[in-house]
Amino acid sequence: MNRKLIFRMLGALLLIEDAAMVPAFILSLIYQDGDAPAIALSMMILLLVGGGLFLGLKRNPDDHLRLKEGFLITAFGWLLLALFGCLPFLFSGTLPRFEDAFFETVSGLTTTGASVVTRFSGFPRGVMFWRATTHWIGGMGVLVLTLALLPKLTGRTAHLVKAESPGPSLSKLVPKTGATAKILYRIYIGLSLTEFVILMFCGLNPYDAAIHTMSTAGTGGFSNYGASVAAFNNPLVEMVITVFMLCYGVNFALYYKFLIGDHFRAFIRDEEFRWYFFLACGFIVAVTLNNLSFYSGNLLTSLRYSAFQVASVMSTTGFVTADFNLWPASSQVLLLIIMFIGSCAGSTAGGMKVIRVNMLIKMSRRNIRAALHPKKVDVVRIDGKAVDETMLSQVALFAFMYGALVLLGALILSTSAPYDTLTHLTASLTCVSNVGPGLGFVGPVENFAGYGIVGKFTCSMLMLSGRLELLPLFILFTGSAWHKY
Amino acid sequence: MRILVIGAGKVGYALAEHLTEEEHDVIVIDKDEMVIDRCTGSLDVLCIRGNGANAKVLLEAGVDKANIVIASTESDETNMLACLISKRLGAKYTIARIRDPEFNESQTLLQNELGIDVAINPERATALEISRLLRYPFAGSIESFARGQVEMVEFRAQEGDPFLGIAMKDLAAEIPKMPRVLYAIVERNNAIQIPGGDFVIEPGDKVFVSGDMMTINDYFRFLGRNRQKIRSVMILGGGRISYYLSKFIVPIGVHVTLFEINPEKARTLSEQLPKVDVILGDGTDQDLLEEQGLSQMDAFISLSNRDEENLMTGMYASRSGVPKVIAKNSRMAYQQILNDLGLDSVISPQFITSSTILRYVRARANSKGTRVERLYRLLGGKAEALEFIARRGDAYIGIPLKDLNTRKGALVSVIVHQGKIIVPFGQDRIEEGDHVVIISSQSGIADLNEVLYK
Repeated sequence: MNRKLIFRMLGALLLIEDAAMVPAFILSLIYQDGDAPAIALSMMILLLVGGGLFLGLKRNPDDHLRLKEGFLITAFGWLLLALFGCLPFLFSGTLPRFEDAFFETVSGLTTTGASVVTRFSGFPRGVMFWRATTHWIGGMGVLVLTLALLPKLTGRTAHLVKAESPGPSLSKLVPKTGATAKILYRIYIGLSLTEFVILMFCGLNPYDAAIHTMSTAGTGGFSNYGASVAAFNNPLVEMVITVFMLCYGVNFALYYKFLIGDHFRAFIRDEEFRWYFFLACGFIVAVTLNNLSFYSGNLLTSLRYSAFQVASVMSTTGFVTADFNLWPASSQVLLLIIMFIGSCAGSTAGGMKVIRVNMLIKMSRRNIRAALHPKKVDVVRIDGKAVDETMLSQVALFAFMYGALVLLGALILSTSAPYDTLTHLTASLTCVSNVGPGLGFVGPVENFAGYGIVGKFTCSMLMLSGRLELLPLFILFTGSAWHKY
Repeated sequence: MRILVIGAGKVGYALAEHLTEEEHDVIVIDKDEMVIDRCTGSLDVLCIRGNGANAKVLLEAGVDKANIVIASTESDETNMLACLISKRLGAKYTIARIRDPEFNESQTLLQNELGIDVAINPERATALEISRLLRYPFAGSIESFARGQVEMVEFRAQEGDPFLGIAMKDLAAEIPKMPRVLYAIVERNNAIQIPGGDFVIEPGDKVFVSGDMMTINDYFRFLGRNRQKIRSVMILGGGRISYYLSKFIVPIGVHVTLFEINPEKARTLSEQLPKVDVILGDGTDQDLLEEQGLSQMDAFISLSNRDEENLMTGMYASRSGVPKVIAKNSRMAYQQILNDLGLDSVISPQFITSSTILRYVRARANSKGTRVERLYRLLGGKAEALEFIARRGDAYIGIPLKDLNTRKGALVSVIVHQGKIIVPFGQDRIEEGDHVVIISSQSGIADLNEVLYK
């Protein structure tokens, strides 16, 4: 294990986080809400620690990043980003308790959007902007951003991107990892700018538009209003955000293919996208019809709120326009199902990912067929290509670990607050899937402030495990991760 | 440049590794999932699993936009087919590894009809390298530059060599009779040094000297290394390399004894190579070797299919007093250990193949962007020799070398001025159109202006 290389990379990550605070700092100077010193101090600390690690350790040109180092950098990197990212909350006094600030930052970086903030009026706007920025950088990934900006940092970077990008396999767009990272961020920035402009046209002021754009882009869900998107009470804004939430749930590789000349064929030919598209449409229709009586028979009203909420949960954003705690139980169950599934691999969204569910369903069908024809050689195909059996068993295990983690999380949470079972279960699920709101006392109009210290740290770990797709964080609990070799 | 490497075996992998280091966009195609996993994990390349002779797979890899396609799979037929299809789909330049001698004979036809721009025969290239080593039996390796006019020879400094203990700048004054060659690189304790004026060579150093062929010859005669000429050679294993090697060295008057264990193969070889003594038997059998006069041989070359056998018998031959032992070893990683064991000449067909292909790729790359005419990797890639042509208008033209700044870790090794070889010293200058060979311990030099500047 090459400790120097790991520390150097971690230093680079912190420097990137430092740079990401600049816009928030500028806004704090403009708005004069009294949070400028807090952000400035945080930036100073990041600069010192990050710069010290980055410049203090010289890179040996023969150093190569190995698999283990990639995993360790990812795991420690995200923990460090959260630790340092919570400084503005602490220093500004907005979230004076460490567990609250840490929870909020993890929730931001993992693009969960669960919050412990209870008072939104008078929240300093610079820190609020930083809170939304964590969504934006966490969505596409901070390591990916680091590689986009500093592709020469270390050789063999594929391990890093692989550990950070969601999905069962890494799809490179171009041969070089650094160039791939750049393309991903270009598309990301392009989509974000488009949404920002459209939201401005819909009547939002630039500050609200920017916050909600970053929240949507990372599929996070932080809003600067306690009532979330419902605060605007603007159907047009809701429609725009609905569409964009679903857009960010699409594999970004498809946008690249779309742009380089495959046009809409890129989407139509992709099996995961087709599943995603039909799942989204199907759930929107089902929930809309199911909620018809709740919205006293008004189809358009039901569609407006149901579509937004389905898009919000499926893309694991977690914006709220309607309190689905009050919806019929079957609508809630439908939402829970898509909370598990999530969106596409290679997007900014969380959840198990449509491609994995797709594979699991095909594997299950194969298993049933095998009961009748045990000798039959049967392959699982995605996009017409046979999927490797190793990958299939990894996906199956991932599904098991995902479920197990949700249950384990719920168990720990149930000991830390006097809520009902549904609350604990959905709180755990919403954290692992990086959605944000759950049901019951963590429902759309509630928040996580009621969980104690243990509960908040448990949720933070659940969110990180979910964002990094379990393995990078779990390997820290294996002995061999800490060995020198 | 966008380069497709089809088949990531030892050669393909080494190529992909070097080409990514040289900032090319590399796409690897291989059928084997394990190979693909290894490449995705450790190389910055795009990997595609599939058959490289399948048009669909090639199109997925973007063959239509590829500048170079290198087909280096195990199978000649796949390689030829892959090149043919790639060329038809729009690839600009194709290189195929073709090893079967049968195909080799109709090579020009195949190349024209199949759209293969370069066909590399690894066995033939390896045999050629060995035959060069036999010309300088004391040399570890030999590279030639400027169309073969300049040679760079690697040898190990021994106790008793006259240049020991004398600083480079004093050599001409202290030993006036010694022919003047350029000391290009010295490897000591695994570290590469470009010797400066105060550098002193120590016994055991690996030294690279360069100069024109005549001077080099005189130099080694002066050192007393060139006394024995290779007249008799023993070859272990009757594979393709042995076949080509015999073809190369028998006509120049070398007697070859060849061991082959397979009766049919031995018979065929005997038919194809009438002047060679083909011995049917196990070449690892010490008694048999002794019986055929191993200790009287000038050189022993082990070319069997098994690395271990080659190295063990090589060491045995060395112990029996054979002055020149060459062993084939396909794993580059062990080179250092083998040197420590006293096997100075270990050759790897994979390394030779990949460096031959790399030379072509670099020559292509130079046509736009960089200006390296040819590039040679020395010491397993730890140093490079680059050949440039000086162009009109460059800043260094006409200025004595001592008045120019030279990039750190680089050295002007040879200047070829109007067909005349100049081993450059401070007062020499580079004129327009000269071939210039640069030795560098760093890679990535693209232009002569980066090395020499005012």
